[in-house]
Amino acid sequence: MQFKKSWAAIPLSVSLLFPTGAILTSAAEHEHGGKASEAISNKAVDLRATLDSILSEHAYLAVVTMQKGLDGAADFEAAAGQLGENTDELSKAVGSVYGDKAGEQFKEIWSSHIGYFVNYVTATAEKDEEGRKKALKDLDGYRVTQADFLAVATENRLKASDLEEGLKMHVDQLIWAFDNYGAEDYDKAYESLKESMHHMFGTGKGLSWAITDQFPEKFDNQSVDTKAADLRESLNNEFSTHAALAILAMQKGIDGAKDFDAAAAILNTNTEDLTKSVESVYGAEGAKQFNEIWSSHIGYFVDYVQATAKEDKAGQDKAMADLDAYRVTQAAFLDTATEGRLKAADLEEGLKMHVDQLLMAFDSYVDEDYETAYDNIHEAYSHMFGVGTALSGAIVDQFPDQFASAMPADMPKTGMGGMSQETDYTILWVTLSMIFIVCTSMVLIRRKTGEQQ
Amino acid sequence: MKFYIQVLIGVIMLAGCAQSDSQPQEKIVKASSSAKVEVEDMPIVPLRSPEEFSLEDQRVGIDPKVIEIPSLDVKATIEEVGRLDNGQMGVPQDPDQAGWFSPGTKPGGRGNAVIAGHVDSKTGPAVFYELDKMEIGDEVLVHGEDGEIVRFAVVKKIAYPRTDAPVDTIFGFTYGSGLNLITCTGSWNRKAKTHDDRLVVYTELIEGTE
Repeated sequence: MQFKKSWAAIPLSVSLLFPTGAILTSAAEHEHGGKASEAISNKAVDLRATLDSILSEHAYLAVVTMQKGLDGAADFEAAAGQLGENTDELSKAVGSVYGDKAGEQFKEIWSSHIGYFVNYVTATAEKDEEGRKKALKDLDGYRVTQADFLAVATENRLKASDLEEGLKMHVDQLIWAFDNYGAEDYDKAYESLKESMHHMFGTGKGLSWAITDQFPEKFDNQSVDTKAADLRESLNNEFSTHAALAILAMQKGIDGAKDFDAAAAILNTNTEDLTKSVESVYGAEGAKQFNEIWSSHIGYFVDYVQATAKEDKAGQDKAMADLDAYRVTQAAFLDTATEGRLKAADLEEGLKMHVDQLLMAFDSYVDEDYETAYDNIHEAYSHMFGVGTALSGAIVDQFPDQFASAMPADMPKTGMGGMSQETDYTILWVTLSMIFIVCTSMVLIRRKTGEQQ
Repeated sequence: MKFYIQVLIGVIMLAGCAQSDSQPQEKIVKASSSAKVEVEDMPIVPLRSPEEFSLEDQRVGIDPKVIEIPSLDVKATIEEVGRLDNGQMGVPQDPDQAGWFSPGTKPGGRGNAVIAGHVDSKTGPAVFYELDKMEIGDEVLVHGEDGEIVRFAVVKKIAYPRTDAPVDTIFGFTYGSGLNLITCTGSWNRKAKTHDDRLVVYTELIEGTE
């Protein structure tokens, strides 16, 4: 494999973080109020967030596309198309670090594994067990090729064996989600979907760590591994999962699909995750309030879906009016919790965007305009990374002590000198002196005793 | 319906198990087609057992209680240590015990876990007295509270001047799972009341949690 090492000529701040990073930072600053602090948003952590966003959306779109493929759904092409755009985005990011040629190589390898997943789906639909086995074998081969590529690119900062282990988990989570979907064990399928998105945040951290370690000066010598960065990405994971699962549950709801209950249930576990995160910062009472407010907006989305199913325009309007009221309540809650670090007006604007993106994604799905639907799903997903960034920025600013580095600045003092040479001499000298004193004393005592006798 | 799926899978598995060498494929087809008659909406996906899948992150690490270094005949209890006010990593109170830097990574987790031990006490050798004798490939075992074990192997050992060690690398993140052992080495600096150098034995995970 050959990598273009003249990447340094590329202005990385523009190329690597384009386009998602630029959108994320501005989203955090303008849509949710307040400028993100250096601890939350710097070149290194932004890279981590960008990769997390693209990689986790890949997992989501892959699972969705595989389901649609098996079902022969009308939106299969659009879902697959969005997955392709995601591959383009990821390859562009890789190319901006390691050169265009490496980006193309990456795209070829990465696309191959999507192809094998498609083969697996096709073989499953055709009840071709041999075809399924072949696809799994191809995926095994892919893992080795992909791991080699990344190990070489990162000059072994990412080790092939670790990468293969991580890639195995990615493949297994997707296959498990798909097999269980096919077997109608939807709870297992959706648990695996959620976990597969979460898994990608570990991959994003690893990859961004390797890149920033490899080219530290391009990232202002900043680290991707800080408590603030971990909070940002943990919230980004929870918020983006919300958007992804919400739109999926809405699709399943309007379709009257058998897996609707499981899709709604996994969305609820995400709400619980978010509530726990809020509790860890703002306590049980704050978490309870948050949970009530947050759950209400999911309820209004459900109302909207039900009204749509009944072609009940008044019901839709009522749901939208409820969502407007929700925005005000949710914004006020976050404004108060962050002691004004997030401004209610900005929050309302950000929440409007979230609501609009989900409704647009849903409406266009219902209207069978699937291109628009998946474009909006992508927008809604990416938007949530701005939400996580803004909220984590406020929290870090509010509780700076919690985010101070725990890493030592200096090595430990792991010796007391008892076995070192100098000390040995000291002991020897002291011992000899003691012996000398004892002997001399004994001689003196003897003499004295002799004299007395 | 679920029951039928289980019956079906059971039949397939039995057929597969019973036919170790003579055309298992044929049997499976027969078994599933006979079951199909009873189950109209049979799932098209034959599920494999979850044990075949890697679904949850194994790199979560353990709370270390005992460190064992077979090549040095060392087996010592682990204390938790943190960061001192002067920024130094803390050290174990007992020279015969090792100190795990608990604000950092757990052994077996993603990143570098760090365990330090004294080379000597005021009067004699301490737990990591012979750490410099470790060689590439030597194993380090870390035991958890409930008998779980993570195994590491030495990949390199480097002595650094005490104020000039790459602390960020030793304690920092890595996509793999490292365990770095630290002790003092070099000559005793009477004025500074510490040894002049620090020895770091870098090890990497060779097996997941047992």
